[in-house]
Amino acid sequence: MDFDFSDDQQQLRDAVSRWVDKAYTFERRRAITEAGGFDRTAYGELAELGLTGLCVPGDHGGMDMGPVDAMVVMEELGRGLVMEPLAQTLAASVVLSQYAPADLQAAWLPQMASGEALVVLAHQERKVRYKLNVCEAKAAPSQEGYAITATKNMVPAGDRAQAWLVPAMLDGQMALFLVQAGAAGATAAGHVCQDGSRAANLTLAHTPAQLVTRDGLAALELATDVGVATLCAEAVGVMDKTFALTAEYLNTRKQFGVLISSFQALRHRLADMKMQLELARSMSYYATLKMGAPAAERHLAVARAKVQLGQSMRFVGQQAVQLHGGIGVTDEYIVSHCFKRLTQMEMTLGDTLHHLGVVSEGMQDTAGVFA
Amino acid sequence: MDLAFTPEEQQFREEVRAWVRANLPADIGHKVHNALRLSRDDLQRWAKILGSRGWLGFGWPQQFGGPGWTAVQKHLFEEECALAGAPRIVPFGPVMVAPVIMAFGNAEQHQRFLPGIASGEVWWSQGYSEPGSGSDLASVKTRAERVGDKYIVNGQKTWTTLGQYGEWIFCLVRTNTEVKPQAGISFLLIDMKSPGVTVRPIKLLDGECEVNEVWFDNVEVPAENLIGEENKGWNYAKYLLAHERTNIADVNRAKRELERLKRIAKAEGVWEDVRFRDQIALLEIDIVALEMLVLRVLGAERSGKPSLDLAGLLKIRGSEIQQRYAELMMLAAGPYSLPYIFDAMEAGWQGDAALGLSEFPGGNVANAPLASAYFNMRKTTIYGGSNEVQRNIVAQTVLG
Repeated sequence: MDFDFSDDQQQLRDAVSRWVDKAYTFERRRAITEAGGFDRTAYGELAELGLTGLCVPGDHGGMDMGPVDAMVVMEELGRGLVMEPLAQTLAASVVLSQYAPADLQAAWLPQMASGEALVVLAHQERKVRYKLNVCEAKAAPSQEGYAITATKNMVPAGDRAQAWLVPAMLDGQMALFLVQAGAAGATAAGHVCQDGSRAANLTLAHTPAQLVTRDGLAALELATDVGVATLCAEAVGVMDKTFALTAEYLNTRKQFGVLISSFQALRHRLADMKMQLELARSMSYYATLKMGAPAAERHLAVARAKVQLGQSMRFVGQQAVQLHGGIGVTDEYIVSHCFKRLTQMEMTLGDTLHHLGVVSEGMQDTAGVFA
Repeated sequence: MDLAFTPEEQQFREEVRAWVRANLPADIGHKVHNALRLSRDDLQRWAKILGSRGWLGFGWPQQFGGPGWTAVQKHLFEEECALAGAPRIVPFGPVMVAPVIMAFGNAEQHQRFLPGIASGEVWWSQGYSEPGSGSDLASVKTRAERVGDKYIVNGQKTWTTLGQYGEWIFCLVRTNTEVKPQAGISFLLIDMKSPGVTVRPIKLLDGECEVNEVWFDNVEVPAENLIGEENKGWNYAKYLLAHERTNIADVNRAKRELERLKRIAKAEGVWEDVRFRDQIALLEIDIVALEMLVLRVLGAERSGKPSLDLAGLLKIRGSEIQQRYAELMMLAAGPYSLPYIFDAMEAGWQGDAALGLSEFPGGNVANAPLASAYFNMRKTTIYGGSNEVQRNIVAQTVLG
C-alpha cells in the first residue's frame, strides 16, 4: 500500500504540466473551440511529448507505460482543460495491444504512437443509453473481410480520426471492429460540444471493417474501463483547477468592504468542495490501481469510482459557479468552462445513476477496498 | 503506487485475525454484531483480554511496553477487531491520556499510571467539556487553585462519556485567569473517589445513559498529579488531538455495520426494492471512498511525507457515514424499529408475543433498538469538535 509517485512519474507530470502552462493557454483553447474543437497541431505536440505512445508496447514504438503513468498525465491535461482526446488514444492502445491480431497491431499501433493516426472508440448508440452489452450495429462477412452498418453518436473527434473502434453484432454476438476513415459508406458529421471539444455522428453503410476480436463485449468493457479510469484522473485535474480558482477568487473579491473569504457560509461551502475533491482523488486512485485486477473486480471498481466522481464533479462545478457569482456564468471567464467540462464528463461513459445501478445490482455481503 | 499491503503486513493481519477469533468472548461478539447494550463488565473484560496480550495500548511505543506498531499495523489491528465484532476500545485511558503521560509526564507518573492503563485495570474518563463550553474548549472554567502541595478543584465537567464507571479522570482546569484563555489551562489527573466528586448520568434521547455530569466541590488533588508544567495544559490537549488520526474516521466499524445493514435489509424485504438498495449502494461507495482516504493518510505517514492535511475531512465524512448507516437500518425496519422496549437491547431478550414483537418480518427481534441507534448517532457530528468547527479548520488550511 503506497500512494507515492516514482521519480519518473513525477518527471512525467512536470513535463506535461510545463506544456499545459506554456502551450495550452486559455486563449489557445478558445481559438481551438472556435475552429471546431480539435486541433491537430496541439495533438501533435502531445505526440512530441511521447504521450500518444504512452500505453503502446515498446516493440510498436511506444513507451509501454501503465495505468498510474496514464493517470498522472490525464490529471495534468485535466488541469489545463485540454480537449484533444488523448484518453481515447490510451484506451484504444490498451485494447488493440491486448485483443487485435498481430497484423492489425503492426498496422496501427506505431502510427498511433507517433501521433499520425488518431483512433477513437465509436460505441454510443441512441437507444441503449449507457449499456454496453447491446447494440444495433450489424456486421457481416464480406469479400474484403467484414462489412458494418451502424449509426454511432458522440464519437470523440470522430470526423478528425483516422480510424474508429466499432462494436457490432456478428453472428448474434458482439464483436469489435476497426473501421478506417474514408472507407466506402462511412460518413462522419462533426460538431462542437458543450465543453468546447469536438464529436461526430458516424454512419456506416456496408462499410468494410477489420475484425479486432469476436470477444467484443470484453474488449469494449476493457476500453470503457480504461476510459473511465483516465476520465476520473482528468476530472481530478479539472477539479483541482476549479477549486484553486475558487479559493483564489474568495481571497480576492470584496463585498461589503471585506474579502468574501471572511464569510463563514462561503468558507463552509469551500470546505465541502474540498471534501468532494479529495473523495474524488481517492476514488480516481482506486480505479487506476484496480486496472490490473480481474475484469469483474476492475469493472466494479470503475463503477464505484464513476459514482463518486459524478457526484464530485457536479458539486464542485456547480458550487464553483455559485461562489464566483455573476462572473461565474459568463463565457469570458474560465470557471464556466471548467463547469461545462465537468458536466460533460459526468455524462461520458456512463453517468452517476448508470454506474450506481452497476454497483447496486452486483452488491455482495461484504464490501470495502479490502473486503 | 500500489494498493496491496506487503506480505509482512498481510501476515500480521492473519495473526491478529486468528488471535481475535480465538480470544473474543462469543457473548460480547454477539452483542456487538447486533448492537445490543454492552455492560461495564463486557467492555472491561475485553480490555483486560487485550491487556494480557499487550495490545490494549496498541498505539504505544515499545519503550512504554507497547507493541511499537506502524501506522499501517495499527490500522490492520483495528480493522480485524472491528470486523470480528470486538467492542471499540474505550479510548480515554490507552489512546488519550496515556500518550500525554508518556510525552509530558515524569518518570514517577509513568510508573504510577501507565501499568494500570495498559492492563485495563483502571477505568479512565475525560474531563474536557463544561456546561457552556461546547466546541470552544479553551473556555474551561473549572478552577484549580494551588494551596501548598495540593490543588483545590471547583467546577463542573459534562458530556463525560461512561464517566459513571470512571475511577480516574484527566481534566483541563483553569490555573490562571489573568492571561488569554489558552495560556491559563493545566492538565490534571484526578482520582474520582476523592471526596467532593459527584457523578450524575445524563439520560440521552435514546433512553441510554452514556454521558455524565461531573462536579468538583473543593476536591483536593495532590500537586504530583499535575502533568507537565502548570498553564501548559492547552499544548498537551492539542498534542492529544494531533494524536487522534485516522481512527477518528472509524471506517472499519462502518464496514462491519454495512454488512449488518445488508442483513437487516434482506430480513425486512427491502433488499429487493431497487430504490432502497441503491441507497445502500451509495453508502457502500461512500465507505470505499472513506477507506481510500484513510489509506492515503496512512500511506503518507508510512513514507514519512508531511502528513496529508485531511484529518478534518476524515472526521466529517466518518461521522456522516455513521449517521447514514444507522438511518438506513432504521428505515429498513420501518415501523418495526419504533417500539421502545428498554429490554430489547439486552442480549437474550426473546421478544414479547403479547405485543407482537416476536413476529417482526424475518423473525428478527433485534430490530427494536434500530431507531434508538439512529437517535444515538446524532451525537457523532456534534462531538469531537462539531462538523461545523471541522469545516472551519478545513477552510482555514485552504484560505488562511
